[in-house]
Amino acid sequence: MPNIAGKAFAMNLITPIERWQAAFNKIQFWAIRQPILSFSLRGLVTLSMIHYARWAIVQPTEWPRLDESQPKEKLHYAYQLFFSNFNGSWAQYVDSFSVAIPSGLNLLWFRNVGWPKAVPEQPFHRYVEHNEVWTSHYYSAYPMAASNDVKSAQRVKQALTSFASRTKDMEAAAFEQAYNELLNELQADLSQMAPTPIVSLANAAVEERMRQDAEAGDEQDSGRAPAMMGGSHAE
Amino acid sequence: MSTPGSPVTLDLHDIQGNIVKAYSRYDYSHARYVLFEITDGQAGRGFIATLAERVTTSAPWGRGSTEERPESTLNVALTFAGLRMLGLPQASLLTFSPEFATGMRGRGAILGDDGPSGPERWDPVWRKPHRIHVLITINGVSRDAIETAYAFVTDITGRYRAGVRCLTGHRDPEGRNDMPYQAASAIEIDGKPTPKEHFGYTDGIGNPYFKGTGEHPENVLGGGKVTRRDATTRAGWEPLETGEFLLGYKDEAQEFPEAPMPPLLGRNGTYMVYRKLHQNVGSFNRYLDAVGTEYPGGKEALAAKFAGRWRNGAPVTTFPTEAEAEAFAQQWMAAKLKIQQTPKGPAREEAKAAFAQLNAKFVAFDYSKDLPGAGCPVGAHIRRTNPRGSLEFGEAFAFDTRGALTNRRRILRRGLPYGSVVDPQDDTGEHGIVFMALGANIRRQFEFVQQQWVNYGNDFRLGNDRDPIIGNHGTTPEGKGDGRMTIEAEPGGGRPPFLCGGMPRFVETRGGEYFFVPSITALRLIGEGMVDPT
Repeated sequence: MPNIAGKAFAMNLITPIERWQAAFNKIQFWAIRQPILSFSLRGLVTLSMIHYARWAIVQPTEWPRLDESQPKEKLHYAYQLFFSNFNGSWAQYVDSFSVAIPSGLNLLWFRNVGWPKAVPEQPFHRYVEHNEVWTSHYYSAYPMAASNDVKSAQRVKQALTSFASRTKDMEAAAFEQAYNELLNELQADLSQMAPTPIVSLANAAVEERMRQDAEAGDEQDSGRAPAMMGGSHAE
Repeated sequence: MSTPGSPVTLDLHDIQGNIVKAYSRYDYSHARYVLFEITDGQAGRGFIATLAERVTTSAPWGRGSTEERPESTLNVALTFAGLRMLGLPQASLLTFSPEFATGMRGRGAILGDDGPSGPERWDPVWRKPHRIHVLITINGVSRDAIETAYAFVTDITGRYRAGVRCLTGHRDPEGRNDMPYQAASAIEIDGKPTPKEHFGYTDGIGNPYFKGTGEHPENVLGGGKVTRRDATTRAGWEPLETGEFLLGYKDEAQEFPEAPMPPLLGRNGTYMVYRKLHQNVGSFNRYLDAVGTEYPGGKEALAAKFAGRWRNGAPVTTFPTEAEAEAFAQQWMAAKLKIQQTPKGPAREEAKAAFAQLNAKFVAFDYSKDLPGAGCPVGAHIRRTNPRGSLEFGEAFAFDTRGALTNRRRILRRGLPYGSVVDPQDDTGEHGIVFMALGANIRRQFEFVQQQWVNYGNDFRLGNDRDPIIGNHGTTPEGKGDGRMTIEAEPGGGRPPFLCGGMPRFVETRGGEYFFVPSITALRLIGEGMVDPT
């Protein structure tokens, strides 16, 4: 399923909330982004599997319509949109949230309709499953990179660029010292990067079939590549 | 019914003994593991009903107990295929966990059982999972005790031969591959059983402590879950919730774990993973010899950094040098000896207390003063498989509880080494460990640890690096191992970390399966054909 791309998993959660309650949540979303309250997000930041997380309130009138001809929906509730990209499986992510930052989750969702609380876990799982919107299309430019890998790569690149210019004319002994210091500074960023462990048996099976189909397709296409260029979409 | 924080009383007479007791700690240093196929449900149920009367329970032995310690123990576990052959209704079968129903072989891609760990390399008996239905584990204080218990099992197998067959196909050290059982026993040094495994490490030190186990309350030190207090003290630890390890009790998420129906079928039972793991002793020794000459601390220090413990068991985060680890081991031995030499009375109690205090140092620690890994590397085996609260990465109070990402990933480890090392430079031959992991949820506990913490490193911010010792290292196109590990230096000291590369796979899977360990009541229900979830 397109929920997965490379090492990343996309989750969209849309949960109903009374309109007057949504106003409180909007204030809350603003408040926790203020530096003085940012400690409340430390748990999220420490959960280094997370690439990105965003909360927003969508008012009943704010839902996009593809076209004027699409009838307007009459919605009773406002909706809280939670959008996140993370590394690992759905269960790993949802479980980590539930055990690590249940009070934070309760704070962000307790005004939502049907919120069961982050603990116990089984009702929480069911709530997330019930309100999750499957991703239709998902693309990762760096399929081998987890968010930790991206952060490490950035640190390594920055440190190495500065090291290269700094040590250009160094004597051998001084260079060795500087190099060892560089390694020491970067010691937490030197792990190897490779494809993701499989997220699920089902996903691995789909990936394998797609790979086989692609190979079979390559063999077939090699004889009639020009026909493909003609745009088979029109047929 | 239990509420979080409240004490739990277990019905120990209904729980199989291998769940609560690590037999090898009670001098049961020999074991025999036997597999059975059931071809007829009625005979199979008779077999199970008869076994149920002989199964060793968790009832306490010795002082203050009516139970005598037996010469041998006997425990029974069933596979999904076995439960079906025994006639469990479909409505019950569907309530077991999906990973248990799939079985270990089917979950191989998650466990990393590839290449030399692949099923085609397994002992013949493990290659036909649809025929594996019942596992009987026998532990004994002597070889004679094992033989007696085995004779009992053979006898009742004969009685139910119309529909029960002992499966052959275990390999043995003589090169046969059609043995009717897997033998295992503690490695003996000078004729005495030891807690060593074939790489030379002391094994089985850390095991989870949960509410109601009946173990000595002091064992919560290092065995429970970390609090925000000092991990070297009693206040630094709390017992884990029972439901992490036993079905029918509240777990760490303050709910009853998902369990088979009817409730009596699941309650007091649990799931068990059995893995026969071959150890490439020659490769391991050669790697230590070669890289140990380059590593500043030498070969033993390198071995300690891999495991997170010196080979004598002393945690490397607490005892950073070999000399300190040695001194500690000697102190420990002396304290142990002193108990035996002190006459009964207050003096002996004092000696016991002194020993307990030393003994706690094996487990009562965390990594809060060692976050960058200059003592115990972040990727060391024991730090990966039990991070002891270090996944908060020093951000105190980032999570509601410090052990949040650890507490639901714990497993009870059981098992013993098998075979013997004839030539320490040789990988081939029969030597390894029969590893058993018990827990209420195979996916969340064992499989997660195996896939995410052993064969991957992102949770530790270690990319795709694997566990140095048990990780499923691959092979480069040049035929070298592709395993890597960073051994961190003191940050800011200007010393470089030590980078290990070219690690081959030191441990390979040779078989295994997922089992359900029913309570005595459940065994009787199954044996009498009375399971009905309606």
